[in-house]
Amino acid sequence: MMKRLVATLALATLALTAMARAEDKPAKVTVGYLNLVNAQLVTKHLGLLAREMPGVDIKYVKVGGGGDMLRAIAGNDVDFGGLGNPPTAIGATRALPIKGILVINMLDYVEAMVVRTDKNITSLKDLKGKTVAAPFGSTTHYLLLQALKDEGVDPTSMKILDLAPSDIAAAWLRGDIDAAWFWEPNLDKAVKNGGKILITSGEMAKRGYPTWDIGVVMNAFAEKYPSYVEKFVKAECEGIDFWLKNPEKTAEIIAEELSLPLDDATRMMTGTGMVPCNKQLTEDYLGTSAKKGKFVDTLVSTADFLVKQERLPKLLPRADFETFIQPAYLEKVVGR
Amino acid sequence: MSVEASPMAIPISADRTRRSTLRLRLPKVSRSVLLSSLTIAVLLATWTIVTEMGWANELFLPKPQAVWAAFIKTMTRGYQGATLLQHLGASLYRILTAFALACLIGIPLGVLMGVSRNARALLNPLIEFYRPLPPLGLYTLLVMWLGIGESSKLSLLFLAGLPGIVISTIQAVTSVDPVYVRAAQSLGATRRHLLFHVYLPAAGPLILAGMRISLGFTYTVLVAAEIVAASAGIGWMIWDAAKFLLSDVVIMGLIVLGLTGVVLDLMMRGIAKLLMPWA
Repeated sequence: MMKRLVATLALATLALTAMARAEDKPAKVTVGYLNLVNAQLVTKHLGLLAREMPGVDIKYVKVGGGGDMLRAIAGNDVDFGGLGNPPTAIGATRALPIKGILVINMLDYVEAMVVRTDKNITSLKDLKGKTVAAPFGSTTHYLLLQALKDEGVDPTSMKILDLAPSDIAAAWLRGDIDAAWFWEPNLDKAVKNGGKILITSGEMAKRGYPTWDIGVVMNAFAEKYPSYVEKFVKAECEGIDFWLKNPEKTAEIIAEELSLPLDDATRMMTGTGMVPCNKQLTEDYLGTSAKKGKFVDTLVSTADFLVKQERLPKLLPRADFETFIQPAYLEKVVGR
Repeated sequence: MSVEASPMAIPISADRTRRSTLRLRLPKVSRSVLLSSLTIAVLLATWTIVTEMGWANELFLPKPQAVWAAFIKTMTRGYQGATLLQHLGASLYRILTAFALACLIGIPLGVLMGVSRNARALLNPLIEFYRPLPPLGLYTLLVMWLGIGESSKLSLLFLAGLPGIVISTIQAVTSVDPVYVRAAQSLGATRRHLLFHVYLPAAGPLILAGMRISLGFTYTVLVAAEIVAASAGIGWMIWDAAKFLLSDVVIMGLIVLGLTGVVLDLMMRGIAKLLMPWA
């Protein structure tokens, strides 16, 4: 009885393996996408990924922020994900099995610090004694602490709270917080309800602290289905091209995906920097397999900052961040 | 004991009986302690072996030494601006306040619902409806109503603790032997006398069991309560450390949380023994 069971199981396994070999195709692909305004929404809306991967069950999962995405990756819940540079630095340092394959977006004023107009906050120094919110571990939390440090303001002189973007919007409407650094589409709700922008992430980029989101793939998936990683990159590149070439139609898509008025969607779009795929292979972004670009520098400095904040145990050598960035798939798609 | 009590048995071998009682008893106590220690030892040994042999990814299961180091570091230097004791204090304050409120409201409510059928019919729909609601779903609403401060956290913990205590108090009161009640009534007891001298003493042990369960429920929602806009608390520390994948801090926090739960439970049992020696 037992023997027969084992034999059947072995046969079934063999058959399944053979099938997997023959097709070399994942049954299901799960894409975790961040709840913000970028071309991933276009790719999703137009079904570009499904077009690249016929017969594959494609599942999109919306993730609130970098911290949740890290957990999803650590829990092996997604095949592809998106991460801002601080969570990426955390993931790379903690040796999560992922590689960065694509620039999802550069963050300009789509992320910003909003302050309550009636509180007379004109500089970061005025935040003393106030309640400030940011999603901990995200790009904006990183920029908040970085900006406070640059202006010589002690972060312990104010109350800094960890809230998810949607909770920030709710807390703002209730009047529980005086300032918050977070992103669209929720940022707008705060601005429209007695808020004004004090500083944007784009301004911080000019000061030498660029923030961005990078598309990542699970190592196991990339090893098993390398051609599907290329298909993913290709679909996302098509989405980016569509965004750059058809801004009006894109705005309509964003408005529909995020249930926003068209005007708001248009404004939010211009606050997000989309990088054409061939440009992503230049020095300012991913660089090439032979010579990695400035994204590595950003990762090193972000990780260094997080180590000083005691959020990371130690700073890894630069080479580890270089291996994390893998432009090879994009190079094939672009045709270099 | 019964052997000693019997006058027939004494002349035969009082000495031997006492010795055998001793022999039977002492090992019994130390045996359960021994078995419990064995479980802990096996767990620790497995943990050590698995991590030392490199069978587990250190990201998911750090070595016991790493967790101990995280404990020492958090005790002395703190985690993100507060030491372990401060985190623990913040959490215990929340838990104990909410639990005390749940007892203060839950026990009288339970007694009322247990004694009066009308009260039970009136209040049952409310209790039965919200009892199975998942705390996080409830929490979103609580945050919108009460804000991100302490009141929403305390309310969530309170609401998690309340139904357990109400339901077991009802159970306790309705299962009081009616003979006690009738006996007291025939001796001229008033409602007040009945409540304090019959219902509460007789139902005490079961109410206490409900309190212990309810404290457990309060614990289960602690992390959820501290996710939103806390900057101290063991639950917050666990949640925050998970964001940065600091699994040593996560595991340390869980162990500390578990141990405080055990200590609180022991304390409740001790108090119960003092207050209700008949239980």
